[in-house]
Amino acid sequence: MPPMIDPTLFDQIKSKIEEDTAVRKELEQIVDELHQHVSFTQGLLSKIHSTPRSKYPTLLPQVEEGIKSQVATVAKLSAYASQFPYYKYNHKWTRPLQDSLSTVLLYSWLSSPSHPLLTPTSISTFYSIPLNLTTTEDKFHLTTEEYLLALISIIDDLSRLAMNSVTLGDTALAVEISTFIKDLHAGFQVLNLKNDILRKRVDSIKYAVKKVEDVVYDLSLRGLIPAAAAGATGEEEKKKE
Amino acid sequence: MSGFKRDWNGNAKKREGPKPPPKKAVVQNQFTPMFETLRDELDQHHDRRERIIKASRDITALSKKIIFALQRIRKIDEELPKNIQAEVDTRLADISKLLATIAPEIQGINRYRYARSLMCLEELVEALTFLHYLKTQTLITPEQLSPIMDELVRKGVTPSEDVAMTDVNEAAAPIPERSEEKEIPRVDLTQDDYLYGVFDLTGEMMRFATTSTALTGTMAGGGAEGDEQPRTIVEDMHELGSFFEMLPVGSGNKFQWEKKLEVTRQSVQKVERLGYDRTIRGSERPKGWIPDLGGGDQPEEE
Repeated sequence: MPPMIDPTLFDQIKSKIEEDTAVRKELEQIVDELHQHVSFTQGLLSKIHSTPRSKYPTLLPQVEEGIKSQVATVAKLSAYASQFPYYKYNHKWTRPLQDSLSTVLLYSWLSSPSHPLLTPTSISTFYSIPLNLTTTEDKFHLTTEEYLLALISIIDDLSRLAMNSVTLGDTALAVEISTFIKDLHAGFQVLNLKNDILRKRVDSIKYAVKKVEDVVYDLSLRGLIPAAAAGATGEEEKKKE
Repeated sequence: MSGFKRDWNGNAKKREGPKPPPKKAVVQNQFTPMFETLRDELDQHHDRRERIIKASRDITALSKKIIFALQRIRKIDEELPKNIQAEVDTRLADISKLLATIAPEIQGINRYRYARSLMCLEELVEALTFLHYLKTQTLITPEQLSPIMDELVRKGVTPSEDVAMTDVNEAAAPIPERSEEKEIPRVDLTQDDYLYGVFDLTGEMMRFATTSTALTGTMAGGGAEGDEQPRTIVEDMHELGSFFEMLPVGSGNKFQWEKKLEVTRQSVQKVERLGYDRTIRGSERPKGWIPDLGGGDQPEEE
């Protein structure tokens, strides 16, 4: 009579579990490293709330350094994680990766007066990480959700900056932020959302919009909107009508 | 007081004529095309997930029905009772079809992406391991399960092959299908599918041991008549219990693992209690009497 349990089965399963544990440990180390770089960069970026735009040229290069370290760590993570099924361990790094993306998005937005928004494609190029793999290729990549969640983070940050920029006397920036956030808000309304984390975060955008609108309202009430920005927003309004 | 809007500079905006039709909810701007692309990607994902969840729910229900059918068996035997075998076959055929519909959606990267929507596989493993145990009194290995899964998907993808035996007109059909066979997607079981399925198997074995002992008066197992020291289900349960106790806890889902392990411990103890009862007073016990073990079925006759 054959035994109940195949004698080789135990060792086979045991070694697989041990392997899995080892992979998780290794991933945790890399993710920790990423987390540290991200926190540092986020900390630097938080200075925008007290730094006038004229001082950006000294602040932003520092941010860029932090971002470089992040990109290097993401590359390390990508090389290691690509050996394993992506979605098996994806939950380990998705949060810090989103935070990393949002520092890059915010940096890019602040770095030029035209306030460019990095698209998923351009951010994927920036990290040299593929984007949204849905076919058979099972490798490390950036997902649509991660990009969108990162975008929502910078909306929150910018709505705070709108207020603080007024305090710093830069009312034009508040108006620029308002235009940007409103456009993004409209963009998010294009999405069909399910009852998930993305839906929850998208729902929060309206509070950011309201916050910035209140700031702009306060400014307009007191005639504090700079002429150039007023012209721009005025046109904006006309276009919509 | 209200009744007209002001622009950002506080000047009243005049409205001419009747109220304009409500604006379209979605404003077009420079980001719209990007968001439309992202929407399509998200939609694809959500739709696929929905399809998987629907099939998964049905597969779970069918697997449970197989398990219920198997619980009507009273002894371990290579040959299942005819009516039960027939029921198992029908259910498996239904599962085949469902698996075939979702198999292409869970290839490669998507296998783990939708792992949480595929809880049905755990249930299916439970049914298949239980079926295997009742036939052979052994625990099926992942290597033995994998061809069974392949076969299930294959049958679902090419159902006409079974029909061909009865339908002469279809006789020519299998030949072109043969060439397609290479492309039949596989449904891979993950280690977790297997292990959690086997965890649940211990519960089914406990239920089976309880009912079969109560109704037949003998402990299930033992193989052929000629065996000197037939192995009973009590020993099998002990072996499974030790198997799980000795395995390292996977760091992925400690909480679930501990919970399942605790349930397994209880099942093992219920069955060993059965073994004790039968040893000590097996012959005195009237047939049909069931020890109160909580998980037992109702006796068939009073």
